[in-house]
Amino acid sequence: MVAVATAGALIATTAPRTLAARFRAQAKSGRAITDEVGRRVVMPTEVRRIVTLAPNLTETVYALGLGDRLAGDTDVCDTPVAAKQKPHVGNPQNPSLEAIAVLHPDLVLATTSINRLETVVALERLGIPVYTSDPHTVRGMVDSIARMAELVGAGDQGAALVAQLRERLDALHSRLADRPMVHVLFVVWEDPLITIGQNTFIADALRWAGAESVVLSDRNWPQLSIEEVVRLQPDYIVFTSDHGETGATQLADLRSRPAWRDLDAVEMGHVVDVSEEAVRPSPGLVDAIEQLAHQLHPEAFAAKSEIRNSKSETRLALEAVREAGRECRQCAR
Amino acid sequence: MSTPAQSGASLTSPARVTGGEGTPRVKVEQASYAYAATDRSAPKFTLGPASFEARQRELVAILGPNASGKSTLLMLLAGLAKPLSGRIEIDGTEVSKLDIRTRAQRIALVQQESELLFPLRVWEYVLQGRYPHGRRLRFESDEDCLLAGNALAQVGADAHRDRWMDQLSGGEKQRVILARALAQRPSLLLLDEPTQHLDIGGKVELLRRLRKLADENRYTVLVVTHELNLAAEFCDRIVLLHKGKCLRVGTPAEVYERDLLGEVFEAPLEVEMRPGGRPRVILRGSH
Amino acid sequence: MRPLTPRHVFTICLALCAVLFVAVVISLRVGAYPVSVRDIVMTLFNAALRRWSEIPPDFQSIVLNIRLPRILLGILVGASLSTAGAGFQALLRNPLADPYVLGVSSGAALGAILSLIAAPHAPGLIQAAAFAGAIATIAAVYFLGRRGGQLDSGTLLLAGIITASFLSAVIMFLMTTLPGRDVRGMAFWLMGDLSSPSTVDLKWLYFLLVIAVGSIYTTSSDLNLILTGEQEARHLGVNVHRVKLVVYVAASVLTGLAVSVSGAIGYVGLLVPHVIRMLFGTDYRLLIPASALGGAILVVVADTLARTVVAPTELPVGAMTAIAGAPVFIYLMRRRVR
Repeated sequence: MVAVATAGALIATTAPRTLAARFRAQAKSGRAITDEVGRRVVMPTEVRRIVTLAPNLTETVYALGLGDRLAGDTDVCDTPVAAKQKPHVGNPQNPSLEAIAVLHPDLVLATTSINRLETVVALERLGIPVYTSDPHTVRGMVDSIARMAELVGAGDQGAALVAQLRERLDALHSRLADRPMVHVLFVVWEDPLITIGQNTFIADALRWAGAESVVLSDRNWPQLSIEEVVRLQPDYIVFTSDHGETGATQLADLRSRPAWRDLDAVEMGHVVDVSEEAVRPSPGLVDAIEQLAHQLHPEAFAAKSEIRNSKSETRLALEAVREAGRECRQCAR
Repeated sequence: MSTPAQSGASLTSPARVTGGEGTPRVKVEQASYAYAATDRSAPKFTLGPASFEARQRELVAILGPNASGKSTLLMLLAGLAKPLSGRIEIDGTEVSKLDIRTRAQRIALVQQESELLFPLRVWEYVLQGRYPHGRRLRFESDEDCLLAGNALAQVGADAHRDRWMDQLSGGEKQRVILARALAQRPSLLLLDEPTQHLDIGGKVELLRRLRKLADENRYTVLVVTHELNLAAEFCDRIVLLHKGKCLRVGTPAEVYERDLLGEVFEAPLEVEMRPGGRPRVILRGSH
Repeated sequence: MRPLTPRHVFTICLALCAVLFVAVVISLRVGAYPVSVRDIVMTLFNAALRRWSEIPPDFQSIVLNIRLPRILLGILVGASLSTAGAGFQALLRNPLADPYVLGVSSGAALGAILSLIAAPHAPGLIQAAAFAGAIATIAAVYFLGRRGGQLDSGTLLLAGIITASFLSAVIMFLMTTLPGRDVRGMAFWLMGDLSSPSTVDLKWLYFLLVIAVGSIYTTSSDLNLILTGEQEARHLGVNVHRVKLVVYVAASVLTGLAVSVSGAIGYVGLLVPHVIRMLFGTDYRLLIPASALGGAILVVVADTLARTVVAPTELPVGAMTAIAGAPVFIYLMRRRVR
């Protein structure tokens, strides 16, 4: 009986390799491309079912108008609201391979900013093509959107979206061209105090909004003490807001804390929050950058008091209205 | 008056009081040993050339005060170290030349036991004594069980068979340890200060049992001890050690001389001869 | 007097195999995608006969390609860790010893993190680097743990603990000070994760498992004796030096094996031998095979829970082994009649 069990185990262990090999053979019929981390991906001829493994990728898919092609996303994908109704495959760091396989995706989208290499490798071994994006800069993100759009056969929508995003970025850039950079402390986490490094995506986004982090570090998430912040004296403190907290409540909270309340920025009320999307490489990022730019450089926008409405999906329009409302509250202070 | 008996031929005892027959089972010829704290320092302790013999059915005491070399001698007898000079033989074969399993089949050593890590039943413990007599990975046979049972009976611990080892009293545990050694069916039984933690009743009982094992079951028993009177009462022969030197070998009557003992044990001792030829040692001035 | 017989060992192992089998079948059945037992049996049957075309593609994908390899990996890891734990508890004369106490897992973790730094996008490298790290640590601790040329339990334990702390400190240093490196994958690895299939064919890993467990098993009689005292064992004819060396190497290799494929899954190596002791006694001739099977059962059950309790989110296996194992342990401890 032991012999049978051993034999069974041996046979069973050879089975997966054989099967995966067969799947790979089938997949070879498509064309091979290289994704943004240098992996070879064999694309199917038609991409009708997409599974995304990160919220920013979900947002991008919807922004390209491909919401109906999204077969599944993670359980933290909440933008747009419709994404919450899609079948979930788990959280981005440890999704369920089964749940993904069952959806029969033609393509899975992953990103180095939140997914793990192990997940990508495991999916490939099952014969499922995975495209991994690797955004380091805002411009890079926009190019990535263009590439992904083209890969899934939505080249036109992609071109349109990308053109519009680039236009807005260029406009912002020219408006802020002769303004000095504002020095900010971008708070990722309060206790311990963690901020962003020079090479992060967020740092690049901040630069587009006319801000520079006071902390110059090669590491991605440098930790520092509050004394260091007092020494650096940033002009503004930027928090990411959980849906609910606003800059006002943050400010009140900081004013009650010992070392923080002595900072110039806190005394002057220069505490700003940006939505979670500021930390995400997604189309909504451009909105967040614009919003932040308005708050940090109000003089540059004195003439116009509303955000230019974009020609893309309804979601972005609603978003814009929401942010415009917030901005007015801030300006009114 | 008493000269330390040194090198030379082993002493034979002309008048046997009890026990001992046949050719010597154990022969110690001019065995010596030295060890130092580190390799480079001078030897801290030496065991001078010692010689004696022990026969079947003999109960021999290796006697001496602390740090006289008793345990070292025992170590050599057990084959745990090779003597620097001379030889130690058991049944004609040099002990240190035996491989570890054969040695365990012939010689059983009873020492202060270590603490048991996991609970163990008495019979399991005694059954382990059968280990030298089979393959390395072994399952005990019926014969093993029989012999282990016999061993328990020989020490009178049969009633404790199913009890847990850590539930036993000191004396009971001592007996069980002895049973394990007996389960080895050795030619030679070595015991290192077995009476240390026992009360006087326990001490007497143990020595009586050893005497019986020697007489009835034909073991050769060597006991390291510093109990003068117990050794005198029960043993056929005494090997007297002092500061690493083997001073005298002989029957208790021959070895127990007042001045000799006084010098060795550094105490005011008096030796009385009792009827039956066995001496008794008492403190001088105590009556 | 009822000594342990080969038949008794065989019977108990058979019973444990049956429990393992049931656990495997249940594990194959549950998950995000429902599969009936009948389907499982048919799939396995057809796979054994290599009749691929008879198996529906979803079953191939879910049952054979995802669940079964994961289960087989879990069995491998569980058996390795619990056997290693039993071995180390005897070697170090310490009931609280687990496979990680001598630093093997820290060495493997360091190997993994170094490979992540050097070649972040090479998937197969992590496993090999982790195993290399484990082997290096085994050798280092061996040389540190000797006294008078022989492995000494106390010295070994001390050497292992020091090495483990040192390596952990190095790992923490690397994780916090390296510029621009995202070692997020390490967090999962350190918690223990069975979701990534092994890059080395499971055949070879099982081969290594059988050899290592077999080596330890040949010393099981010796270990029984050594546990009553090293000196006593020596007097009974046990080659204590050799036995300790064999157990040290085999148990460390098993630990390195498990950790390099799945990260450091906790509690298995510590709890399973104790549970088996409580159920079946302390004789190592039964403890070794029973622990191996018991560990396999624990990990399969824990992993099944980990991937179904809050599906589709998957929890780390290490959390589940603690949650599944500890209450069982407490129950048995209270139930013990002495």
